[in-house]
Amino acid sequence: MSVLRVEGLRKTYGKMEALKGIDFEVRPGEVFALIGPNGAGKTTALRICATLLSVTDGKVAFLEHDLRKEPDFVREKIAYLPEEAGAYKNMKGLDYLKFMAAFYAGTDTEEKEYVDRAVQITGLGNRLQDKVGTFSKGMTRKLLLARALMTKPVLAILDEPTSGLDVLNALEVRSMVRRYVKEGTAVLLSSHNMLEIEFLSDRLALIDHGRILDTGTPQALKDKHQAHNLEEVFRSAVQ
Amino acid sequence: MKRFMNLLRKEIRELVTAQLVISLVFMLVLFNFIGRTSRKEVEKAMGEQTLAVLDLDGSTASQGITMGLETANFKIESMAGKTKDEAVQAAGESEAKLLLVIPAGFGESLENLEPREVETYSFMRSFSMVGARSQVIIRSVINALNDLVSDRFLKEKLPDRDPDSLKNPIRTKDFVIVRERMAEGSAQMVAGLMTTQSLLIPVVLMMIVIYSSQMVISAVAMEKQNKTLETLLTVPIRRTSIITAKMLSAGLVGLISAFVYMAGFRSFMGGLGTDEIQAAAGQSGDSIMRQLGLYFDATGYIVLGAALFLAILTALAMAMILGVLAEDFRSAQNMIMPLILMVMVPYFISLFADMASLSLPVKLLILAIPFSHPFLVPQNLYLGNYGMIIGGLAYMLVVFVVLVGFAAKVFSSDKILTMKLRFGKKRNAAAAT
Repeated sequence: MSVLRVEGLRKTYGKMEALKGIDFEVRPGEVFALIGPNGAGKTTALRICATLLSVTDGKVAFLEHDLRKEPDFVREKIAYLPEEAGAYKNMKGLDYLKFMAAFYAGTDTEEKEYVDRAVQITGLGNRLQDKVGTFSKGMTRKLLLARALMTKPVLAILDEPTSGLDVLNALEVRSMVRRYVKEGTAVLLSSHNMLEIEFLSDRLALIDHGRILDTGTPQALKDKHQAHNLEEVFRSAVQ
Repeated sequence: MKRFMNLLRKEIRELVTAQLVISLVFMLVLFNFIGRTSRKEVEKAMGEQTLAVLDLDGSTASQGITMGLETANFKIESMAGKTKDEAVQAAGESEAKLLLVIPAGFGESLENLEPREVETYSFMRSFSMVGARSQVIIRSVINALNDLVSDRFLKEKLPDRDPDSLKNPIRTKDFVIVRERMAEGSAQMVAGLMTTQSLLIPVVLMMIVIYSSQMVISAVAMEKQNKTLETLLTVPIRRTSIITAKMLSAGLVGLISAFVYMAGFRSFMGGLGTDEIQAAAGQSGDSIMRQLGLYFDATGYIVLGAALFLAILTALAMAMILGVLAEDFRSAQNMIMPLILMVMVPYFISLFADMASLSLPVKLLILAIPFSHPFLVPQNLYLGNYGMIIGGLAYMLVVFVVLVGFAAKVFSSDKILTMKLRFGKKRNAAAAT
């Protein structure tokens, strides 16, 4: 059973067609990536899967539950990290984690477990006692990623998880993602950073102008398009 | 419930910032300071004041004026021995706010019943209202003297008649009728008492609506500006709970802010002497209002409370939708304007116009504004227009339900992310892809 199954997904904004009938699936314990240029439809697809946007046509099933009919069920099991996400600036880092954990935890013990895990993921130590407004972009991103992963969601949807981060912070974030996949969380992520995708993803889909051009493992796609890297794969697929 | 309370706590924490607390405390202190300063000035004006008097007559009558002024708590500074010009100059250099010049032959003229002028010179060193008190007192002393002289004359000529009856042969006894109830008093007095009695209702409503709406608009706009809205919309909590938490927190914080503002306002008004004015209206006014049935009983307060509550809910629902349209905190400040106008229009209409005398289109327009109805509740309650009250409450309830339904729909749809209104820029709303 796939974690997420997308079939013939279409999304329109008035006359503009952002997604023109895309299909893909995310399997348990894998990192599935959508790669493509700006405006390709990556964020729209992720927002739909995160129950933020409605489906114009097609089907999105999460653990075989229709996303349109059971959005509340989906929200219990997923975590979404938007590309330009922020946290409440007047809250202390730790308070923010507690606030978010309370939505998912059934008991106080569970809530504490989530927060402890998040504290460990961030690696921010005592800085979590400071207000989020004083955090650097990298610190905020780590906090948000920890928030997304602390509940060990069935599916983590990460939109450009390393967007705007320096090399060291980006490396740290990538290793966090890989670590949690090993613990059973499936990941659907988007990026236009082909190197990142090659490092992180088990399988990927090339998306452009609202259509999926090709799907497969990085190696399979490189072989198929006789390319040395994913950038060459993408160029070949577009042509 | 646990999730809702978690969100509500966060919303309240976000709204009750140090800036808000500081500004409220500052406002309270400022109003209190202005009130105290005004009270001191009023007390000073009501206390002993210096008045310069140049008595060029020296008759019993002129001395009577001086004594009358002393009785009215004035400290008399005599300008005896000076010419008028010298007296004006000397009084101007002294503490005196007014110079009274009684001309020579004043007493004799009074005896002969010939009109004679006294002159007053007011030294305006400030333009406050309390500064003009001296002239009013002098006028009342002169009026008393006029009465004394004319009464004495009439008494001499017609010893069997009451001078007052001769001067005022026609008297009035005023009655006011409201519905089937009647009481002795003038319509002007009743209207004045009504205004004083219900003065706080529109002010309270306006304050709460403006504060709460501003809070809720800002709360939604800040979520957008800080990029926290998308995350919040994907956590396992119903969208209606998000709306309710935001509205409830804004309502609570707005209510507290308005209460603090009102406390400050009351302290300010107390300084201007409105408490004394109300006390002066006294028991007779209260008794007239009770005779006419122009007072709030328990039912009246419940009806008024319900109207205020519905108006606040409507404003919050409206603000929630406007908040969704706002792109960021700054544009949210512009969004509040239509709401403020919708409260201001009925507020001023209730102050300066009579709904019954307005033309039908204007009346319908006013009634279409949901916030008009709480302003009209006291009047309709007193006049027994229960149909209008029930209609108004029902109308506000319908508007609230429609607005909340619309807000819930917006929050549950793509519009929460795609709908925005930009001032000065014509752009189509579209989602980022």
